[in-house]
Amino acid sequence: MTDWLGMTPNPRNPRPELRARVLARATQPEARGARWGWLAAAALVALALGGAAGYWTRNTIAALAAERDRLAAALAVVRDTLGFVRGPATRVAWVPVTTNGRLGGVTIFADSATRRWLVRCEGMAPSEPGETYQIWFVTADGMKRAATMTMDERESTVMAMAFDVPSDVGAVTGAAMSIEPRSGSTQPRGPMVFHLRL
Amino acid sequence: MTQPKRLSQEDEHTLLRRLKARDESALAELYDALAPWVLGLASRILQDDPEAEEVLSDVFVQVWRHIDQHEKSRGPLVPWVLSIARNRALDALRRRHRWWRKAERWGDALRLEDDGAVPAPDPADAAVPGWPVHQAVHAALAALPVDQRRIVVLAYFEGLTHSEIARRTGQPLGTVKTRLRIAHGKLAEALKHVKDWLR
Repeated sequence: MTDWLGMTPNPRNPRPELRARVLARATQPEARGARWGWLAAAALVALALGGAAGYWTRNTIAALAAERDRLAAALAVVRDTLGFVRGPATRVAWVPVTTNGRLGGVTIFADSATRRWLVRCEGMAPSEPGETYQIWFVTADGMKRAATMTMDERESTVMAMAFDVPSDVGAVTGAAMSIEPRSGSTQPRGPMVFHLRL
Repeated sequence: MTQPKRLSQEDEHTLLRRLKARDESALAELYDALAPWVLGLASRILQDDPEAEEVLSDVFVQVWRHIDQHEKSRGPLVPWVLSIARNRALDALRRRHRWWRKAERWGDALRLEDDGAVPAPDPADAAVPGWPVHQAVHAALAALPVDQRRIVVLAYFEGLTHSEIARRTGQPLGTVKTRLRIAHGKLAEALKHVKDWLR
């Protein structure tokens, strides 16, 4: 029971002038300014850290989302390409081409089940300014527009493109490529690069 | 010695409630009732008047600012205030950088109280509120065997740890612990009838 031991020493009356001083000091408002200053500074630091963390998180999420979309697109392309290789209804044709004195080749994967084509060109001369290579579906009703492929000098000499066979195009019996204006033509008018039956 | 103000029974009952209600006059009444005891305790521990008066001031500042922390279930008001005074005084004692200059004065005091005896109550103080408690505590402490009383005094008034007491007194640590435990038991038994005289 040490609670009461504090009353063991004899009491001592304080000097009378101490009373007012002690009471005034005790009841004066606490110097909260400094404390609030520290609290405000701490809050600001926390806010800044939180903002920076939020900014970093937002940027990171945006970058990761962009990367995810890019990878998803690349995966879709790979799956699409693989689908041509594995498709039971895919026919493959390769034709050598000579463009502007350069020897190259065009490979066509034609999937009749999904009505999708994959065309791969390699070793072809760059397109002249204002010109493009245009691919055609050969049907019983004549040649129908398929796609345009513009070879750029700065790019690789290999270019691949996948596209659908439109539903209004009837049975496709072959493929052709001609050199047309950059905007493409409704009917082949330029020099024919190749024409083959599938 | 001037006579500290006596509190009426009604004032005693409502003092704590008024303190918690931030009634400054209640603090003044508490000061009048307890300042002599706080100063007496601080002086006993510090043996230095200016430092004891500083502790006195600190105690009432702390009481006023933290009165909400006092819960009746945790003990009466007076021991709570005195425990603040003791802790403040011991803190000051430990902080003291002028220890070496006061060592001689301390040596004198310790020689006088080497057996843990405390000055007998001064009859001139008999009118001070709380005087019966003072007498009861004094008697309980005085009734302890010298070895036990000395250990209690070293622990309470100098804030020494068990190990420090053992070194100071040259007693085995286990003996110090045993004597302190027995002394606390005796004090608790002797003072169990004491009620808070200031509520």
